[in-house]
Amino acid sequence: MSVADLVKTFTFYEILVGMKATITVFIQRIILRNRKAITLQYPHEKRDLPGSYRGMIALLKYDDGVEKCVGCDLCEAACPSRVITVISAEVEGEPAKRYAKEYYMDMTRCLFCGLCVDACPVDALAMTKEYEWARYNKRDLRLDKPQLLALGDRNFPVREKKLEFQHPNVAYFNIGHKNLPHKAS
Amino acid sequence: MAEMVTILIDGKPIEVEKGTLVIEAARRIGVMIPHFCYHPKLKPDANCRMCLVEVEKMPKLQTSCSTVVAEGMVVRTNTPVVDEAHKSVLEFILANHPLDCPICDQGGRCDLQDFSHRYTPTGSQFTDTKRVYEKGFFSPLIEKEMNRCVSCLRCVRYCDEIMDVKALANAARSTMTEIVHFAGHPLDCEFCGGCVQICPVGAITSRLSMYEFRPWMMKRADTTCGYCGDGCSLILETRGEKVIEVMSSHGNGRNNGDLCAKGFFGYQYVNHEDRLTTPLVRQADGNLHPVTWDEVLPVLAERLTQIKLAHGADAIGGLISARCTNEDLYLFQKFMRLAIGSNHLDSTARYGHVNAARALRRVQGTNRWTVSYEDIVQADALLLIGTQVTAANPIVGLKVKEAVKKHGATLLTLETLVPSIETTSNITNLSALHVAVPPGRHAAAVRGLVKAAFDENLVDAALSSRAGDYVSRIRAAATALPYPEGLDEAALRAVAKAFAGARRGVILIGQDLLQAPGGHESAVNLLDFLLLLGKLTQPGWGLAPLTEENNEQGAVEMGATAEYLPGPADVGDAAARTQIAGAWKDQPPASQGMHLLEMLDAARAGTLKAMLIVGENPVRSLPLSAKAASALEKLDLLVVQELFLTETAKLADVVLPACSYAEKTGTFTNSEGFVQKVRPGLEPVGDSRPDWEILSSLSVMMGYPLEYGDAKEILKEIRAVIPGYRVLGAKPEPAQVAAKSVEQYLTRGFAEDLPARYSAGAAPKANSHRWALAVGQTLFHSGAMSTKAQGLLELQHEGKLIMNPADAQRLGIADGDRVRLTSTSGEATVPVTMLGRIPEGTLFFPESFREALAGLPSMTPDPVTGVPYCKQLRVSVDKVGTGGASSGPPPARIAGGK
Repeated sequence: MSVADLVKTFTFYEILVGMKATITVFIQRIILRNRKAITLQYPHEKRDLPGSYRGMIALLKYDDGVEKCVGCDLCEAACPSRVITVISAEVEGEPAKRYAKEYYMDMTRCLFCGLCVDACPVDALAMTKEYEWARYNKRDLRLDKPQLLALGDRNFPVREKKLEFQHPNVAYFNIGHKNLPHKAS
Repeated sequence: MAEMVTILIDGKPIEVEKGTLVIEAARRIGVMIPHFCYHPKLKPDANCRMCLVEVEKMPKLQTSCSTVVAEGMVVRTNTPVVDEAHKSVLEFILANHPLDCPICDQGGRCDLQDFSHRYTPTGSQFTDTKRVYEKGFFSPLIEKEMNRCVSCLRCVRYCDEIMDVKALANAARSTMTEIVHFAGHPLDCEFCGGCVQICPVGAITSRLSMYEFRPWMMKRADTTCGYCGDGCSLILETRGEKVIEVMSSHGNGRNNGDLCAKGFFGYQYVNHEDRLTTPLVRQADGNLHPVTWDEVLPVLAERLTQIKLAHGADAIGGLISARCTNEDLYLFQKFMRLAIGSNHLDSTARYGHVNAARALRRVQGTNRWTVSYEDIVQADALLLIGTQVTAANPIVGLKVKEAVKKHGATLLTLETLVPSIETTSNITNLSALHVAVPPGRHAAAVRGLVKAAFDENLVDAALSSRAGDYVSRIRAAATALPYPEGLDEAALRAVAKAFAGARRGVILIGQDLLQAPGGHESAVNLLDFLLLLGKLTQPGWGLAPLTEENNEQGAVEMGATAEYLPGPADVGDAAARTQIAGAWKDQPPASQGMHLLEMLDAARAGTLKAMLIVGENPVRSLPLSAKAASALEKLDLLVVQELFLTETAKLADVVLPACSYAEKTGTFTNSEGFVQKVRPGLEPVGDSRPDWEILSSLSVMMGYPLEYGDAKEILKEIRAVIPGYRVLGAKPEPAQVAAKSVEQYLTRGFAEDLPARYSAGAAPKANSHRWALAVGQTLFHSGAMSTKAQGLLELQHEGKLIMNPADAQRLGIADGDRVRLTSTSGEATVPVTMLGRIPEGTLFFPESFREALAGLPSMTPDPVTGVPYCKQLRVSVDKVGTGGASSGPPPARIAGGK
């Protein structure tokens, strides 16, 4: 063992190397006080989330308050972990229109992969920035349609405008182009 | 052997029969040419232009669906030119097709969707707005969305070529082509669902399951229909605990993908909310209360054992529905004969099919048809006697239509119906020679037919020399009778002559003949007729009785009747008994069993103490005058295994919930004797159990264990005991006429009831009731089960008396008016409707709503076979009310497409 090695052993050199960043920040933050803290005092402080953040999933409405979902079941088919259950039916009195009579998401199983949002042909699904959804009871995480719509309402204050159509009998939904309105930040 | 030609498709050589279409030849080597208007069942139309291919030495692209192969033809299906053509055709179609796949029920199994994906057209040169039609409905069951239509006209052609109904047509021209039905009234057709099944896109879909499913969600079970004896293969498509829809695939099963209204729209009774889900036991307060299986079975076994010890095994009787599987029927009779030790058992084959089965066994030695559906299609002459084939057995009806329309067969009919132009098909419209036979007169018509065989000198010379005695005695008996009064003598003789002159001929007989007095004798007489013509033993000839319930043939073969052991073999047959005893390791009881009516009599007399009824409702099936209810009430113990709390179940001491065919494994035997699999599509509803399982656990509790792991084990035992169940092939192998049996019949057998078979019968009693009323099958209902199916109720929700418009006009009756019917035994008030196919002086009432007639019919049992005859009667008609005020409530709308 050389002298250099011996010195390194006694001065814990490797540890100092490993903690270089920690020690630098410690000196800057605590001793020199010239650096801002990066630790957030969660839950008192929260991070700014990027627009592509994949949080809780929400159902959206058009600007006239009509829900966008047409109950096509494609999200159910796209979901890799069988989160979604859609029970579709015709709109009462309007047999040309299909909608989701019931819509369930079992968020305990959700991977937040966003495949359902991609699959939706009418942009009725969107991912919000909500994430504080710890619950004492797992059943509370099986969300039904009103809950999902409420999620959409509070996260997307600006709704997509429903297009004027040539005939109410043919087109009654906007074909999705991933033109989601901006999420509330 | 057909002439073969060799062609080259995409470089692959293939040898096909001359006359094959290029598209078919390509399919055989796995080249799928996109198409919309082509369907192997239909004649080529070449209107969609999607199937264009390049053929060498032909200047232009050819439609492969209408191009016939020729020797040395070189076809290319995947060149850039062909691809370009397909793309432009798709672009034309998509110019008007809305992009509403997300809400279209066809999405996921749509030809247009698939081809669009294949050619991935991303843009369109068409900027005009798309055509728009209002979404319409052909009926409460069939919806049309003409925006999606690709104008392939498959539906129109199917309705015409296959169904012969012609309910749909194409209106307007070019891109505005629209499928319409005849205006002025809602779609009034056979509701076979064929247009829904054959539509390549989502233009015509079923409203029963509208928006409820996606094709990929559904579990499929290949099973067999539980309505009539035709034995159609169907695919039950289920999601969770619910049957979503029924389909049938082309080329599959005896029906080749065709279904009728009952098969296609009649599945919802399986999920009916009234289904029994727990066992019910009558308790001290006199009401039925739900209990568990563990509570009910030991008590029930003890009660049965007590009764058996106190009164003997003969105090217990059994009745089973012929809608049960062969396994249920087999285990039921084994349970009755061994665990109980009684021969008093019967099945609903007693209501008519026993007449035919006994006749066939007696003369030709087998109770099965000696022909198959293929023989019907290939026949030269078809003789229909009392079948009402389109209503009672729609798929056999299609075979008859195919024989007549495609193969030019001569159709001869001895039916109650008369030809008339109407919205639904009427088989007599196709007949070359028709004899109108009033209800109850079919037996007389058959005797007239035999007489005509002699009068027209149609008797086979070989038979005359071989069995001179037989021929001369039948001649003496038959010709001594006059031709039946009121029937067209010349026509009857012409029918006999036309039938005898054919190269292949099949006689189809149905319920109008078999469920009327003289049914049994008529069946034997018809076999006489075939024998006299020298045709009975020839291939392609035979007598084919059609059954009303799906497994009546199976019920007879499983021995679920008093007179037969499994096989069927006569209860008294020593050799059969030894064989059965060998398989069962026990002797079946030797006593002569009682059939249904005898059991009811015994119950009334107090000698029958207990009855086990599986899936049958005699209180409803028999008229009030049979007093079934009062007989069943006198029993000490009545056990009913049922799907619903029927009239009979309401009288029971113990009601056990049973599984429907959609929840069972087993086999059905159709009327041609073909054994087909029944596979479950659903888990049993509630706590219900398959019938065989209930009987099996009951037998264990009674100390005579008949234990089976599953239905397959029972089938294994059936195969060991009953010939004809060993191989379940893809096609039935028709039974052969046993020469020994025919010989025996010709020498001795025929004589025993000769006078009875050829007597004029009691002349119709002259009384003041001058109308002949027939109760029978309609197209939309079969038995009571179908009246629980919402889809069928949409089509027909109440029993309406049908009369000829001329009669109605004479009486001043309008559609929907109510009339009072009076017979010798009672009266009933029913609404009326009119159809030209019902001859003047005749009335018709649908059997499924027979409770409306309740007290009207009287019942005559057959002296030999014990079949209760209660479907023909004479009544008077009085108008009592007009339509608007007194017609029944309309059916509940299907809420939300459910």
